[in-house]
Amino acid sequence: MLTDFIKGIWKENPVFVQVLGMCPTLAVTTSLINGLSMGLATTFVLVASGLAISALRKVIPDQVRIASFMIIIASFVTVVKLLFEAHIPTISTQLGPYLPLIVTNCIILGRQEAFASKEPVSRSLMDALGMGLGFAFALVVLGSVRELFYQGTIADVEILGSWYKSMIIMVQPAGAFISLSILVALFKKISSRG
Amino acid sequence: MELFFIFVAIVLTQNFVLHYFLGICPFLGVSDEMEAAFGMGIATTFVMTLTAIITWNINNFILEGFGVEFLEYVSFILVIASLVQLVEMFLKKYVPELYQTLGIYLPLITTNCAVMGLALFMVLRDYNFVQSAIFGFGAGVGFTLALIIMAGIRSELMEDAIPEPFRGTGITLLTAGLLALAFMGFSGLVPV
Amino acid sequence: MRQILKMVLVLTVLGLVSGLILSLVSNYATPIINENNREAIKEAVFYVLPNTEDYEVKTIEGKEVYVTRDSEGQVNGYGFTASGSGYQGTIELMVGVKPDFKEIQGIQILESSETPGLGGKIRGDNFKNQFRDKDASSGVSLVKSAPTEPGEIEAITGATISSQAVVDIINKGLEHVKNLMEAGGG
Repeated sequence: MLTDFIKGIWKENPVFVQVLGMCPTLAVTTSLINGLSMGLATTFVLVASGLAISALRKVIPDQVRIASFMIIIASFVTVVKLLFEAHIPTISTQLGPYLPLIVTNCIILGRQEAFASKEPVSRSLMDALGMGLGFAFALVVLGSVRELFYQGTIADVEILGSWYKSMIIMVQPAGAFISLSILVALFKKISSRG
Repeated sequence: MELFFIFVAIVLTQNFVLHYFLGICPFLGVSDEMEAAFGMGIATTFVMTLTAIITWNINNFILEGFGVEFLEYVSFILVIASLVQLVEMFLKKYVPELYQTLGIYLPLITTNCAVMGLALFMVLRDYNFVQSAIFGFGAGVGFTLALIIMAGIRSELMEDAIPEPFRGTGITLLTAGLLALAFMGFSGLVPV
Repeated sequence: MRQILKMVLVLTVLGLVSGLILSLVSNYATPIINENNREAIKEAVFYVLPNTEDYEVKTIEGKEVYVTRDSEGQVNGYGFTASGSGYQGTIELMVGVKPDFKEIQGIQILESSETPGLGGKIRGDNFKNQFRDKDASSGVSLVKSAPTEPGEIEAITGATISSQAVVDIINKGLEHVKNLMEAGGG
Protein backbone atom coordinates (compact mmCIF):
# COMPACT_ATOMS: atom_id res chain seq x y z
CA MET A 1 0.00 0.00 0.00
CA LEU A 2 2.69 2.45 1.01
CA THR A 3 4.72 1.70 -2.10
CA ASP A 4 1.67 2.55 -4.22
CA PHE A 5 1.77 5.96 -2.61
CA ILE A 6 5.52 6.63 -2.56
CA LYS A 7 6.31 5.65 -6.15
CA GLY A 8 4.27 8.53 -7.58
CA ILE A 9 6.20 11.12 -5.67
CA TRP A 10 9.72 10.10 -6.57
CA LYS A 11 10.53 6.97 -8.56
CA GLU A 12 7.66 7.31 -11.03
CA ASN A 13 7.13 11.05 -10.67
CA PRO A 14 4.62 11.90 -13.41
CA VAL A 15 6.42 15.04 -14.55
CA PHE A 16 10.12 14.46 -14.01
CA VAL A 17 10.23 10.75 -14.87
CA GLN A 18 7.17 9.88 -16.95
CA VAL A 19 7.03 13.30 -18.66
CA LEU A 20 3.22 13.39 -18.60
CA GLY A 21 0.82 16.26 -18.09
CA MET A 22 3.19 18.72 -19.70
CA CYS A 23 0.63 21.33 -20.76
CA PRO A 24 -0.41 22.50 -17.29
CA THR A 25 3.10 21.91 -15.97
CA LEU A 26 4.54 24.45 -18.37
CA ALA A 27 1.61 26.80 -18.65
CA VAL A 28 0.61 27.68 -15.11
CA THR A 29 3.90 27.54 -13.23
CA THR A 30 4.66 31.26 -13.39
CA SER A 31 4.51 31.34 -9.60
CA LEU A 32 4.49 28.94 -6.67
CA ILE A 33 0.88 29.63 -5.77
CA ASN A 34 -0.39 28.93 -9.29
CA GLY A 35 1.59 25.69 -9.47
CA LEU A 36 0.25 24.60 -6.10
CA SER A 37 -3.40 25.33 -6.94
CA MET A 38 -3.13 23.46 -10.23
CA GLY A 39 -1.37 20.55 -8.48
CA LEU A 40 -4.06 20.25 -5.84
CA ALA A 41 -6.93 20.61 -8.32
CA THR A 42 -5.41 17.81 -10.41
CA THR A 43 -4.89 15.67 -7.31
CA PHE A 44 -8.55 16.07 -6.40
CA VAL A 45 -9.73 15.00 -9.87
CA LEU A 46 -7.25 12.13 -9.91
CA VAL A 47 -8.36 10.82 -6.51
CA ALA A 48 -12.09 11.32 -7.07
CA SER A 49 -12.17 9.72 -10.51
CA GLY A 50 -9.78 6.99 -9.35
CA LEU A 51 -12.17 6.07 -6.55
CA ALA A 52 -15.23 6.17 -8.79
CA ILE A 53 -13.64 4.13 -11.55
CA SER A 54 -12.11 1.60 -9.21
CA ALA A 55 -15.48 1.12 -7.52
CA LEU A 56 -17.24 0.73 -10.88
CA ARG A 57 -14.52 -1.35 -12.52
CA LYS A 58 -16.64 -4.49 -12.65
CA VAL A 59 -19.71 -2.72 -14.03
CA ILE A 60 -18.13 -0.80 -16.90
CA PRO A 61 -17.91 -2.91 -20.07
CA ASP A 62 -14.46 -2.99 -21.62
CA GLN A 63 -15.54 -1.61 -25.01
CA VAL A 64 -16.89 1.65 -23.62
CA ARG A 65 -14.41 2.10 -20.80
CA ILE A 66 -12.59 5.09 -22.31
CA ALA A 67 -15.86 6.93 -22.94
CA SER A 68 -17.02 6.12 -19.41
CA PHE A 69 -13.72 7.29 -17.92
CA MET A 70 -13.95 10.52 -19.88
CA ILE A 71 -17.48 11.23 -18.61
CA ILE A 72 -16.41 10.64 -15.02
CA ILE A 73 -13.22 12.69 -15.31
CA ALA A 74 -14.91 15.58 -17.14
CA SER A 75 -17.66 15.69 -14.51
CA PHE A 76 -15.20 16.02 -11.66
CA VAL A 77 -13.27 18.67 -13.55
CA THR A 78 -16.48 20.66 -14.01
CA VAL A 79 -17.13 20.41 -10.27
CA VAL A 80 -13.61 21.71 -9.51
CA LYS A 81 -13.96 24.54 -12.03
CA LEU A 82 -17.31 25.68 -10.61
CA LEU A 83 -16.08 25.54 -7.02
CA PHE A 84 -12.86 27.42 -7.89
CA GLU A 85 -14.84 30.08 -9.72
CA ALA A 86 -17.20 30.49 -6.80
CA HIS A 87 -14.73 30.47 -3.93
CA ILE A 88 -11.29 31.44 -5.24
CA PRO A 89 -12.11 33.53 -8.33
CA THR A 90 -8.65 35.14 -8.59
CA ILE A 91 -6.92 31.78 -8.90
CA SER A 92 -9.59 30.57 -11.30
CA THR A 93 -8.87 33.57 -13.55
CA GLN A 94 -5.11 33.03 -13.29
CA LEU A 95 -5.37 29.39 -14.36
CA GLY A 96 -7.84 30.30 -17.12
CA PRO A 97 -8.54 27.56 -19.66
CA TYR A 98 -5.84 25.34 -18.16
CA LEU A 99 -8.14 24.43 -15.28
CA PRO A 100 -10.72 22.73 -17.54
CA LEU A 101 -7.85 21.23 -19.52
CA ILE A 102 -7.26 18.88 -16.57
CA VAL A 103 -9.75 16.73 -18.52
CA THR A 104 -7.11 15.90 -21.09
CA ASN A 105 -4.21 15.64 -18.65
CA CYS A 106 -2.65 12.37 -19.75
CA ILE A 107 -1.74 11.50 -16.16
CA ILE A 108 -5.38 11.14 -15.21
CA LEU A 109 -6.56 8.92 -18.03
CA GLY A 110 -3.25 7.06 -17.82
CA ARG A 111 -3.69 6.17 -14.14
CA GLN A 112 -7.26 4.98 -14.77
CA GLU A 113 -6.09 2.70 -17.56
CA ALA A 114 -3.00 1.43 -15.79
CA PHE A 115 -4.26 1.22 -12.24
CA ALA A 116 -7.74 2.22 -11.05
CA SER A 117 -9.62 0.09 -13.59
CA LYS A 118 -7.77 -3.02 -12.40
CA GLU A 119 -7.11 -2.59 -8.69
CA PRO A 120 -9.33 -2.38 -5.57
CA VAL A 121 -10.47 0.96 -4.20
CA SER A 122 -7.96 1.26 -1.35
CA ARG A 123 -4.89 0.70 -3.53
CA SER A 124 -6.26 3.01 -6.21
CA LEU A 125 -6.69 5.71 -3.62
CA MET A 126 -3.05 5.41 -2.59
CA ASP A 127 -1.88 5.38 -6.18
CA ALA A 128 -3.97 8.44 -7.10
CA LEU A 129 -2.83 10.36 -4.01
CA GLY A 130 0.82 9.57 -4.71
CA MET A 131 0.63 10.50 -8.38
CA GLY A 132 -1.38 13.63 -7.64
CA LEU A 133 0.98 14.84 -4.94
CA GLY A 134 3.99 13.93 -7.08
CA PHE A 135 2.52 16.10 -9.82
CA ALA A 136 1.81 18.92 -7.35
CA PHE A 137 5.36 18.61 -6.02
CA ALA A 138 6.81 19.01 -9.51
CA LEU A 139 4.60 22.02 -10.22
CA VAL A 140 5.56 23.68 -6.96
CA VAL A 141 9.27 23.18 -7.64
CA LEU A 142 9.00 24.54 -11.18
CA GLY A 143 6.75 27.39 -10.03
CA SER A 144 9.19 28.40 -7.29
CA VAL A 145 12.20 28.30 -9.60
CA ARG A 146 10.47 30.42 -12.23
CA GLU A 147 9.09 32.91 -9.73
CA LEU A 148 12.48 33.19 -8.01
CA PHE A 149 14.38 33.96 -11.19
CA TYR A 150 11.61 36.16 -12.58
CA GLN A 151 11.27 38.64 -9.74
CA GLY A 152 13.41 37.30 -6.90
CA THR A 153 10.50 36.10 -4.78
CA ILE A 154 8.99 32.77 -3.74
CA ALA A 155 5.27 32.87 -2.86
CA ASP A 156 5.62 36.68 -2.99
CA VAL A 157 8.23 36.65 -0.20
CA GLU A 158 11.36 38.50 -1.22
CA ILE A 159 14.35 36.16 -1.38
CA LEU A 160 16.94 37.78 -3.56
CA GLY A 161 16.61 41.36 -2.35
CA SER A 162 15.93 44.54 -4.22
CA TRP A 163 19.16 44.47 -6.26
CA TYR A 164 17.70 41.67 -8.37
CA LYS A 165 16.54 42.85 -11.76
CA SER A 166 13.53 40.89 -12.97
CA MET A 167 14.09 38.41 -15.75
CA ILE A 168 11.02 38.58 -17.95
CA ILE A 169 11.94 35.54 -20.01
CA MET A 170 11.25 33.27 -17.02
CA VAL A 171 7.50 33.86 -17.12
CA GLN A 172 7.34 33.51 -20.90
CA PRO A 173 7.01 30.23 -22.80
CA ALA A 174 10.72 29.97 -23.58
CA GLY A 175 11.61 30.29 -19.88
CA ALA A 176 9.15 27.54 -19.01
CA PHE A 177 10.68 25.07 -21.46
CA ILE A 178 14.26 25.86 -20.46
CA SER A 179 13.61 25.71 -16.69
CA LEU A 180 11.81 22.39 -16.99
CA SER A 181 14.57 21.01 -19.20
CA ILE A 182 17.17 21.80 -16.56
CA LEU A 183 15.01 20.41 -13.75
CA VAL A 184 14.39 17.14 -15.63
CA ALA A 185 18.12 16.76 -16.21
CA LEU A 186 18.89 17.53 -12.55
CA PHE A 187 16.30 15.02 -11.41
CA LYS A 188 17.82 12.36 -13.64
CA LYS A 189 21.30 13.14 -12.32
CA ILE A 190 20.23 12.95 -8.66
CA SER A 191 18.13 9.81 -8.95
CA SER A 192 20.70 7.92 -11.02
CA ARG A 193 23.17 8.42 -8.20
CA GLY A 194 20.90 7.17 -5.40
CA MET B 1 -8.65 40.25 -43.48
CA GLU B 2 -9.73 39.49 -39.95
CA LEU B 3 -9.91 35.78 -40.79
CA PHE B 4 -6.41 35.97 -42.18
CA PHE B 5 -5.23 37.54 -38.91
CA ILE B 6 -6.80 34.76 -36.89
CA PHE B 7 -5.01 32.22 -39.04
CA VAL B 8 -1.57 33.87 -38.90
CA ALA B 9 -1.90 34.51 -35.17
CA ILE B 10 -2.66 30.91 -34.34
CA VAL B 11 0.04 29.49 -36.62
CA LEU B 12 2.87 31.89 -35.76
CA THR B 13 2.40 34.39 -32.94
CA GLN B 14 0.23 32.29 -30.66
CA ASN B 15 1.31 28.86 -31.78
CA PHE B 16 -0.58 26.28 -29.73
CA VAL B 17 2.53 24.31 -28.85
CA LEU B 18 5.10 27.04 -28.35
CA HIS B 19 2.90 29.74 -26.88
CA TYR B 20 0.02 28.01 -25.10
CA PHE B 21 1.81 24.74 -24.31
CA LEU B 22 -1.02 22.72 -25.78
CA GLY B 23 -0.26 19.34 -27.28
CA ILE B 24 3.11 19.00 -25.63
CA CYS B 25 2.78 15.26 -25.03
CA PRO B 26 2.64 14.29 -28.72
CA PHE B 27 5.09 17.10 -29.43
CA LEU B 28 7.67 15.41 -27.22
CA GLY B 29 6.56 11.89 -28.08
CA VAL B 30 6.43 11.70 -31.85
CA SER B 31 8.84 14.40 -32.90
CA ASP B 32 11.83 12.08 -33.16
CA GLU B 33 11.04 11.04 -36.70
CA MET B 34 10.02 13.26 -39.59
CA GLU B 35 7.51 10.90 -41.15
CA ALA B 36 5.72 10.20 -37.87
CA ALA B 37 5.65 13.92 -37.07
CA PHE B 38 4.06 14.70 -40.40
CA GLY B 39 1.46 11.94 -40.04
CA MET B 40 0.53 13.03 -36.55
CA GLY B 41 0.30 16.64 -37.70
CA ILE B 42 -2.04 15.87 -40.57
CA ALA B 43 -4.26 13.59 -38.49
CA THR B 44 -4.49 16.19 -35.73
CA THR B 45 -5.24 19.04 -38.14
CA PHE B 46 -8.06 16.98 -39.59
CA VAL B 47 -9.58 16.21 -36.19
CA MET B 48 -9.10 19.79 -35.00
CA THR B 49 -10.92 21.31 -37.97
CA LEU B 50 -13.84 18.93 -37.48
CA THR B 51 -13.84 19.52 -33.73
CA ALA B 52 -14.05 23.27 -34.23
CA ILE B 53 -16.99 22.89 -36.59
CA ILE B 54 -18.93 20.48 -34.39
CA THR B 55 -18.26 21.94 -30.95
CA TRP B 56 -19.22 25.38 -32.22
CA ASN B 57 -22.65 24.07 -33.13
CA ILE B 58 -23.02 22.15 -29.90
CA ASN B 59 -22.03 25.14 -27.82
CA ASN B 60 -24.29 27.58 -29.63
CA PHE B 61 -27.37 25.54 -30.21
CA ILE B 62 -27.41 23.00 -27.41
CA LEU B 63 -25.39 24.25 -24.45
CA GLU B 64 -26.32 27.93 -24.67
CA GLY B 65 -29.70 27.18 -26.19
CA PHE B 66 -30.80 25.12 -23.21
CA GLY B 67 -28.72 26.97 -20.62
CA VAL B 68 -26.71 23.90 -19.68
CA GLU B 69 -23.23 25.40 -20.01
CA PHE B 70 -22.07 23.27 -17.11
CA LEU B 71 -22.07 20.27 -19.44
CA GLU B 72 -19.46 21.99 -21.64
CA TYR B 73 -16.46 19.88 -20.71
CA VAL B 74 -18.31 16.57 -20.65
CA SER B 75 -19.90 17.12 -24.05
CA PHE B 76 -16.73 18.48 -25.69
CA ILE B 77 -14.58 15.58 -24.61
CA LEU B 78 -17.23 13.10 -25.77
CA VAL B 79 -17.42 14.81 -29.15
CA ILE B 80 -13.65 14.63 -29.52
CA ALA B 81 -13.48 11.00 -28.44
CA SER B 82 -16.29 9.93 -30.79
CA LEU B 83 -14.88 12.01 -33.62
CA VAL B 84 -11.52 10.32 -33.33
CA GLN B 85 -13.26 6.96 -33.31
CA LEU B 86 -15.35 7.84 -36.37
CA VAL B 87 -12.38 9.13 -38.32
CA GLU B 88 -10.54 5.94 -37.46
CA MET B 89 -13.39 3.70 -38.63
CA PHE B 90 -13.94 5.74 -41.79
CA LEU B 91 -10.29 5.65 -42.79
CA LYS B 92 -9.99 1.95 -42.02
CA LYS B 93 -12.89 1.12 -44.28
CA TYR B 94 -12.56 3.58 -47.16
CA VAL B 95 -8.97 4.82 -47.28
CA PRO B 96 -6.93 1.90 -45.95
CA GLU B 97 -3.65 3.31 -47.33
CA LEU B 98 -4.08 6.49 -45.29
CA TYR B 99 -5.15 4.44 -42.30
CA GLN B 100 -1.89 2.50 -42.52
CA THR B 101 0.07 5.73 -42.07
CA LEU B 102 -2.15 7.64 -39.65
CA GLY B 103 -3.86 4.82 -37.78
CA ILE B 104 -1.48 4.54 -34.88
CA TYR B 105 -1.64 8.26 -34.09
CA LEU B 106 -5.40 8.56 -34.04
CA PRO B 107 -6.16 7.15 -30.56
CA LEU B 108 -3.53 9.48 -29.08
CA ILE B 109 -5.44 12.51 -30.30
CA THR B 110 -8.26 12.15 -27.74
CA THR B 111 -5.96 13.12 -24.89
CA ASN B 112 -4.13 15.72 -26.93
CA CYS B 113 -4.96 18.82 -24.93
CA ALA B 114 -4.57 20.94 -28.06
CA VAL B 115 -7.87 19.59 -29.38
CA MET B 116 -9.78 20.20 -26.16
CA GLY B 117 -7.95 23.51 -25.72
CA LEU B 118 -9.08 24.56 -29.16
CA ALA B 119 -12.73 24.02 -28.25
CA LEU B 120 -12.32 25.93 -24.98
CA PHE B 121 -10.48 28.88 -26.55
CA MET B 122 -13.12 29.15 -29.26
CA VAL B 123 -15.86 29.55 -26.66
CA LEU B 124 -13.80 31.97 -24.55
CA ARG B 125 -13.13 34.18 -27.55
CA ASP B 126 -16.72 34.19 -28.76
CA TYR B 127 -15.75 33.26 -32.30
CA ASN B 128 -18.46 32.94 -34.91
CA PHE B 129 -18.80 29.85 -37.07
CA VAL B 130 -16.38 30.80 -39.86
CA GLN B 131 -13.83 32.20 -37.41
CA SER B 132 -13.99 28.97 -35.42
CA ALA B 133 -13.40 26.82 -38.47
CA ILE B 134 -10.39 28.91 -39.51
CA PHE B 135 -9.13 28.88 -35.94
CA GLY B 136 -9.40 25.10 -35.77
CA PHE B 137 -7.62 24.58 -39.06
CA GLY B 138 -4.94 27.15 -38.19
CA ALA B 139 -4.33 25.56 -34.81
CA GLY B 140 -3.73 22.25 -36.58
CA VAL B 141 -1.36 23.81 -39.09
CA GLY B 142 0.54 25.51 -36.27
CA PHE B 143 0.79 22.24 -34.39
CA THR B 144 2.07 20.45 -37.51
CA LEU B 145 4.59 23.21 -38.14
CA ALA B 146 5.99 23.00 -34.60
CA LEU B 147 6.14 19.21 -34.82
CA ILE B 148 7.96 19.19 -38.15
CA ILE B 149 10.52 21.82 -37.13
CA MET B 150 11.17 19.88 -33.95
CA ALA B 151 11.55 16.59 -35.82
CA GLY B 152 14.04 18.22 -38.18
CA ILE B 153 16.15 19.52 -35.32
CA ARG B 154 15.99 16.28 -33.38
CA SER B 155 17.20 14.21 -36.31
CA GLU B 156 20.31 16.42 -36.38
CA LEU B 157 20.74 16.07 -32.63
CA MET B 158 20.88 12.26 -32.81
CA GLU B 159 24.50 12.37 -33.89
CA ASP B 160 25.66 14.79 -31.21
CA ALA B 161 27.33 14.05 -27.91
CA ILE B 162 24.74 15.27 -25.42
CA PRO B 163 25.54 15.10 -21.68
CA GLU B 164 23.86 12.05 -20.19
CA PRO B 165 21.23 13.77 -17.94
CA PHE B 166 20.01 15.88 -20.86
CA ARG B 167 19.49 12.97 -23.26
CA GLY B 168 15.91 12.41 -24.32
CA THR B 169 13.46 14.74 -22.60
CA GLY B 170 15.98 17.30 -21.38
CA ILE B 171 17.43 18.24 -24.73
CA THR B 172 14.01 18.17 -26.39
CA LEU B 173 12.61 20.63 -23.87
CA LEU B 174 15.67 22.82 -24.22
CA THR B 175 15.25 22.85 -28.00
CA ALA B 176 11.58 23.68 -27.57
CA GLY B 177 12.62 26.59 -25.37
CA LEU B 178 14.89 27.95 -28.08
CA LEU B 179 12.14 27.47 -30.66
CA ALA B 180 9.70 29.35 -28.45
CA LEU B 181 12.29 32.11 -28.20
CA ALA B 182 12.57 32.21 -31.98
CA PHE B 183 8.79 32.28 -32.38
CA MET B 184 8.64 35.27 -30.04
CA GLY B 185 10.09 37.18 -32.96
CA PHE B 186 6.70 36.86 -34.64
CA SER B 187 4.79 38.46 -31.79
CA GLY B 188 3.11 41.72 -32.66
CA LEU B 189 3.01 40.66 -36.31
CA VAL B 190 -0.78 40.74 -36.40
CA PRO B 191 -3.35 42.23 -34.02
CA VAL B 192 -4.98 39.57 -31.90
CA MET C 1 -26.99 -8.39 -27.90
CA ARG C 2 -26.88 -8.39 -24.10
CA GLN C 3 -23.41 -6.97 -24.35
CA ILE C 4 -24.58 -4.01 -26.41
CA LEU C 5 -27.52 -3.45 -24.10
CA LYS C 6 -25.18 -3.32 -21.14
CA MET C 7 -22.91 -0.84 -22.91
CA VAL C 8 -25.77 1.48 -23.72
CA LEU C 9 -27.21 1.14 -20.23
CA VAL C 10 -23.92 1.91 -18.46
CA LEU C 11 -23.22 4.96 -20.62
CA THR C 12 -26.75 6.29 -20.23
CA VAL C 13 -26.74 5.88 -16.46
CA LEU C 14 -23.30 7.47 -16.21
CA GLY C 15 -24.43 10.39 -18.34
CA LEU C 16 -27.60 10.88 -16.31
CA VAL C 17 -25.81 10.71 -12.97
CA SER C 18 -23.13 13.09 -14.18
CA GLY C 19 -25.72 15.53 -15.54
CA LEU C 20 -27.66 15.41 -12.29
CA ILE C 21 -24.63 16.01 -10.07
CA LEU C 22 -23.35 18.80 -12.30
CA SER C 23 -26.68 20.59 -12.39
CA LEU C 24 -26.80 20.47 -8.58
CA VAL C 25 -23.26 21.83 -8.24
CA SER C 26 -23.96 24.44 -10.87
CA ASN C 27 -27.14 25.54 -9.07
CA TYR C 28 -25.09 25.98 -5.94
CA ALA C 29 -22.13 27.75 -7.58
CA THR C 30 -23.76 29.99 -10.19
CA PRO C 31 -25.30 32.52 -7.78
CA ILE C 32 -21.96 32.85 -5.97
CA ILE C 33 -20.11 33.29 -9.28
CA ASN C 34 -22.55 35.97 -10.42
CA GLU C 35 -22.18 37.70 -7.07
CA ASN C 36 -18.38 37.59 -7.47
CA ASN C 37 -18.65 39.19 -10.89
CA ARG C 38 -20.96 41.91 -9.59
CA GLU C 39 -18.53 42.55 -6.73
CA ALA C 40 -15.65 42.87 -9.21
CA ILE C 41 -17.60 45.38 -11.32
CA LYS C 42 -18.61 47.30 -8.20
CA GLU C 43 -15.04 47.51 -6.97
CA ALA C 44 -13.87 48.72 -10.38
CA VAL C 45 -16.60 51.39 -10.60
CA PHE C 46 -15.67 52.79 -7.20
CA TYR C 47 -12.00 52.71 -8.19
CA VAL C 48 -12.42 54.62 -11.46
CA LEU C 49 -14.89 57.16 -10.03
CA PRO C 50 -13.47 57.90 -6.58
CA ASN C 51 -16.09 60.28 -5.14
CA THR C 52 -18.90 57.85 -5.74
CA GLU C 53 -21.46 57.11 -3.06
CA ASP C 54 -23.70 54.83 -5.04
CA TYR C 55 -24.44 53.86 -8.63
CA GLU C 56 -27.18 52.42 -10.79
CA VAL C 57 -26.91 50.24 -13.85
CA LYS C 58 -28.45 51.65 -16.99
CA THR C 59 -28.71 49.37 -20.01
CA ILE C 60 -28.82 51.07 -23.40
CA GLU C 61 -28.93 48.87 -26.48
CA GLY C 62 -27.47 46.01 -24.49
CA LYS C 63 -24.55 48.06 -23.16
CA GLU C 64 -24.36 48.50 -19.41
CA VAL C 65 -23.47 51.98 -18.21
CA TYR C 66 -22.87 52.57 -14.51
CA VAL C 67 -24.32 55.96 -13.58
CA THR C 68 -22.64 57.09 -10.38
CA ARG C 69 -23.78 59.63 -7.82
CA ASP C 70 -21.79 61.49 -5.17
CA SER C 71 -22.78 61.93 -1.53
CA GLU C 72 -25.20 64.73 -2.43
CA GLY C 73 -27.04 62.57 -4.92
CA GLN C 74 -25.67 64.41 -7.95
CA VAL C 75 -24.69 62.38 -11.00
CA ASN C 76 -20.91 62.66 -10.96
CA GLY C 77 -19.92 60.30 -13.72
CA TYR C 78 -20.41 57.29 -15.93
CA GLY C 79 -18.52 54.03 -15.70
CA PHE C 80 -18.43 51.53 -18.54
CA THR C 81 -16.41 48.55 -19.70
CA ALA C 82 -14.55 48.59 -23.00
CA SER C 83 -12.39 45.96 -24.61
CA GLY C 84 -10.16 45.45 -27.63
CA SER C 85 -7.04 43.65 -28.84
CA GLY C 86 -3.75 44.12 -27.06
CA TYR C 87 -0.38 42.64 -27.88
CA GLN C 88 -1.13 39.16 -26.55
CA GLY C 89 -4.89 38.99 -26.29
CA THR C 90 -7.99 40.86 -25.29
CA ILE C 91 -7.70 43.77 -22.89
CA GLU C 92 -10.81 44.72 -20.96
CA LEU C 93 -11.02 48.01 -19.10
CA MET C 94 -13.38 49.83 -16.80
CA VAL C 95 -13.41 53.51 -17.68
CA GLY C 96 -14.81 56.28 -15.49
CA VAL C 97 -15.67 59.60 -17.09
CA LYS C 98 -17.36 62.84 -16.06
CA PRO C 99 -20.98 63.23 -17.25
CA ASP C 100 -19.91 65.69 -19.98
CA PHE C 101 -17.46 63.08 -21.38
CA LYS C 102 -14.71 65.73 -21.31
CA GLU C 103 -12.59 64.36 -18.49
CA ILE C 104 -11.59 60.80 -17.67
CA GLN C 105 -11.73 60.14 -13.93
CA GLY C 106 -9.79 56.91 -13.91
CA ILE C 107 -9.35 53.51 -15.52
CA GLN C 108 -8.97 49.98 -14.22
CA ILE C 109 -7.74 46.87 -16.05
CA LEU C 110 -10.30 44.10 -15.71
CA GLU C 111 -8.63 41.59 -17.97
CA SER C 112 -5.33 41.44 -19.81
CA SER C 113 -2.85 38.79 -20.79
CA GLU C 114 -0.09 41.21 -21.81
CA THR C 115 3.49 40.05 -21.30
CA PRO C 116 4.30 40.23 -17.59
CA GLY C 117 7.01 42.81 -16.94
CA LEU C 118 6.41 44.62 -20.23
CA GLY C 119 2.87 45.17 -21.47
CA GLY C 120 1.70 43.77 -18.14
CA LYS C 121 2.75 47.09 -16.64
CA ILE C 122 -0.53 48.59 -17.88
CA ARG C 123 -1.86 47.11 -14.63
CA GLY C 124 0.64 49.19 -12.65
CA ASP C 125 -0.33 52.37 -10.81
CA ASN C 126 2.28 54.39 -12.71
CA PHE C 127 0.40 53.84 -15.92
CA LYS C 128 -3.17 53.83 -14.63
CA ASN C 129 -2.73 57.01 -12.58
CA GLN C 130 -1.87 58.92 -15.73
CA PHE C 131 -5.57 58.71 -16.56
CA ARG C 132 -6.74 60.30 -13.30
CA ASP C 133 -8.60 63.55 -14.10
CA LYS C 134 -7.31 63.45 -17.64
CA ASP C 135 -8.63 65.89 -20.18
CA ALA C 136 -10.35 63.91 -22.91
CA SER C 137 -12.32 66.59 -24.73
CA SER C 138 -10.74 65.33 -27.94
CA GLY C 139 -9.86 61.85 -26.71
CA VAL C 140 -6.50 60.78 -25.27
CA SER C 141 -3.35 60.28 -27.32
CA LEU C 142 -0.11 58.41 -26.76
CA VAL C 143 3.33 60.02 -26.70
CA LYS C 144 6.72 58.43 -26.11
CA SER C 145 8.14 61.12 -23.82
CA ALA C 146 6.77 63.10 -20.88
CA PRO C 147 3.39 64.59 -21.87
CA THR C 148 3.30 68.30 -22.66
CA GLU C 149 -0.26 68.76 -23.94
CA PRO C 150 -3.48 67.94 -22.06
CA GLY C 151 -4.84 64.55 -23.02
CA GLU C 152 -1.44 63.02 -23.60
CA ILE C 153 -0.41 59.73 -22.04
CA GLU C 154 3.19 58.55 -21.82
CA ALA C 155 3.73 55.07 -23.28
CA ILE C 156 5.35 52.34 -21.17
CA THR C 157 8.94 51.83 -22.31
CA GLY C 158 9.16 48.66 -24.38
CA ALA C 159 5.40 48.23 -24.52
CA THR C 160 4.18 50.80 -27.00
CA ILE C 161 1.70 48.40 -28.59
CA SER C 162 0.02 47.58 -25.28
CA SER C 163 -0.08 51.25 -24.28
CA GLN C 164 -1.50 52.23 -27.66
CA ALA C 165 -4.11 49.48 -27.34
CA VAL C 166 -5.32 50.87 -24.01
CA VAL C 167 -5.55 54.39 -25.44
CA ASP C 168 -7.44 53.16 -28.52
CA ILE C 169 -9.84 51.10 -26.45
CA ILE C 170 -10.59 54.12 -24.25
CA ASN C 171 -11.18 56.46 -27.19
CA LYS C 172 -13.43 54.00 -28.94
CA GLY C 173 -15.36 53.28 -25.75
CA LEU C 174 -15.79 56.98 -24.96
CA GLU C 175 -17.15 57.66 -28.42
CA HIS C 176 -19.50 54.67 -28.29
CA VAL C 177 -20.93 55.35 -24.84
CA LYS C 178 -21.21 59.09 -25.49
CA ASN C 179 -23.37 58.40 -28.54
CA LEU C 180 -25.45 55.87 -26.61
CA MET C 181 -26.08 58.28 -23.76
CA GLU C 182 -27.04 61.08 -26.10
CA ALA C 183 -29.38 58.84 -28.03
CA GLY C 184 -30.73 57.25 -24.87
CA GLY C 185 -31.62 60.63 -23.40
CA GLY C 186 -28.60 60.87 -21.08
